[in-house]
Amino acid sequence: MIVGEQKPIKEILNMTAPHHRLLVLGCGTCVKTCFAGGEDEVAALASLLRLASRKDGRSLHIEEFTVERQCEDAFIAEAAEAVARNEAVLSLACGAGVQAVARRFPRFRVLPGVNTTFLGVLEHRGVFTEECSGCGDCQLALFGGVCPFSRCAKKLLNGPCGGSRNGKCEVHADTDCVWHLIIERFTALGRLNDLRTYVPPKNWQPSLSGGPRKLIREDHTL
Amino acid sequence: MSRTFRLFIFYCTRTLENEAEFLPAADPAVEVHAIPMACSSMVKDLFLLKALEAGADAVTVWVCPEGACRHGEGNLRARKRVQRVQSLLDEIDLYGCRLTLFHLGPGDRSSAIKILREISGDLAGLGENPAGIQKDRSKKQGTSNNTS
Amino acid sequence: MKTEPASRLERLLSQGRFVVTAECGPPRGANGDVIRRKGALLKGAVDAVNVTDNQTAIVRMSSIAAAKHLLDSGIEPVMQMVTRDRNRIALQSDILGAYALGIRNILCLSGDHQSFGSQPDALNVFDIDSMNLIRTVRTMREGGTDMSGHPLDDPPKMFIGAAANPFADPFEYRVLRLAKKIDAGADFIQTQCIYNLERFKKWMEMASGEGLTEKVHILAGVTPLKSAGMAKYMARNVAGMDIPEAILRRMAGVPKENAAGEGIAICLETIAALREMPGVHGIHIMAIEWEEQVRPIVEQARLLPRP
Repeated sequence: MIVGEQKPIKEILNMTAPHHRLLVLGCGTCVKTCFAGGEDEVAALASLLRLASRKDGRSLHIEEFTVERQCEDAFIAEAAEAVARNEAVLSLACGAGVQAVARRFPRFRVLPGVNTTFLGVLEHRGVFTEECSGCGDCQLALFGGVCPFSRCAKKLLNGPCGGSRNGKCEVHADTDCVWHLIIERFTALGRLNDLRTYVPPKNWQPSLSGGPRKLIREDHTL
Repeated sequence: MSRTFRLFIFYCTRTLENEAEFLPAADPAVEVHAIPMACSSMVKDLFLLKALEAGADAVTVWVCPEGACRHGEGNLRARKRVQRVQSLLDEIDLYGCRLTLFHLGPGDRSSAIKILREISGDLAGLGENPAGIQKDRSKKQGTSNNTS
Repeated sequence: MKTEPASRLERLLSQGRFVVTAECGPPRGANGDVIRRKGALLKGAVDAVNVTDNQTAIVRMSSIAAAKHLLDSGIEPVMQMVTRDRNRIALQSDILGAYALGIRNILCLSGDHQSFGSQPDALNVFDIDSMNLIRTVRTMREGGTDMSGHPLDDPPKMFIGAAANPFADPFEYRVLRLAKKIDAGADFIQTQCIYNLERFKKWMEMASGEGLTEKVHILAGVTPLKSAGMAKYMARNVAGMDIPEAILRRMAGVPKENAAGEGIAICLETIAALREMPGVHGIHIMAIEWEEQVRPIVEQARLLPRP
């Protein structure tokens, strides 16, 4: 899923300062799961914004609304009336959702309330880890299902650098060295020697390096 | 004229069974709203924030002692959530210290009374919550929660 | 295919001489005199001098320019090149440029992560890894082409080095990685600084068991410790560094004013032990901002005069 975290409240307050009627718009899919932008977070943020504005003697009317997914027009449409009642929208969706909402409502200011951080998994309750960078050319078969492109700070493809300690990355001591995990996996499979295989330079063309990407499914278009 | 402060108490019923055990001891200048919870893990950031919106000058969460939660870790979760809201309040310069958490053993009335006294003292220093809705200072109990 | 030695370093190694290399860090500024001064300290004391490439991710004079200064002073450089800051286009272009300037040795590295440097907010590139940089330089030398397969007019024929850290985790993979670097085209290896001789010996035995010491020249890295504080700092904070307790105790056990001497004594003992190990074809002295100590170390190790 897409993982995000709410922006610092000070940043949100600065962004929203010019507005007196604000729609806080949640998204009930990815950002809900990571506690950044679902219905509950919309309610808590709205409450916090009300407290902050009242404390500062600022007039601010907040409306709360959450749609199923902000990255799909059909769901965004449900927010149209609420948007129309306000001056600006504070979207708690990922960057894609914010842009989709802005596209749909060209005459309204749409502000991001969340920092979209990565594509990841819920490792355990409250802990999310980055697992995929959406490079467009999945090579997980080469690495035992563990991705060094997205999980190695140096994107090393041919083995670990010399810096890991006790299986932890030199850049973040609380993060597993992805190469350590890869080696563990191949060792468990009794195939450590496979890692002797040379992995050529990555083709970054299917990634953002090759320009903004688009997926067209001919069979679903007219 | 004595000032009236408003205090919200979220308490786990494993600490004190009901408000009759501590309300009578509260400072008459403080209007107390006590909300019982089957477990302190029921505390959510939204409830704490809403209490402040509803005019609470202080909010306190009473949980059972560490290790004593019948659900295992309810009081630990409550503490983490309280800490988060405290830091959010600090970030909007609303004094996170308006929000407190205390561990209380089952039926520990004397501690409860002591805490109430401490909070009354703190409130005198902190003053009113500048972000709460306007309070009707003539009434002592039962103000409606007309948040927008 | 390669015939003539690309550099003096290669010639000495192929003649079976025990070589000595040292390291020279370019300045944080555009002052070429710094390089010339450091070069003068090392000239005649070592066979070649490594020029670091923005080591520890701190901006310094480029390794190509600094290497050229050494070359002009009559010192053979080993140009270090990291993949952190340049994509494959810039890396290849700089290899061509370096060769055109007369640089003949290259050490291919991935580079310290920028989060340890002075500008942790920098974008890192890591378009290719060190393994692929080694392969690229070999392709230029032996295939005469760039990475795209395009033939090069006067392809650079570099003597190719790679780094190895016998002390990094996981130990059982380190020899496999060395093998992979040799497959990719490494002619010589310069290791991480060695304090744990026991572990280094084990690694050498494993490498030799795989026949790797026959295929590559291993230059064992040493760094003289200046003080007990430096030893402790390196042991705790430098990733992939292994300084045994006994060494730390030894450094801490002498009066402060004798610590540098003790560090050099340890270094000399290490060099003596390394010379006895089969498969070690030389030493690489990384005297960090302490270049003036290199000549005395080489001399006391009875490795002077150099050929």
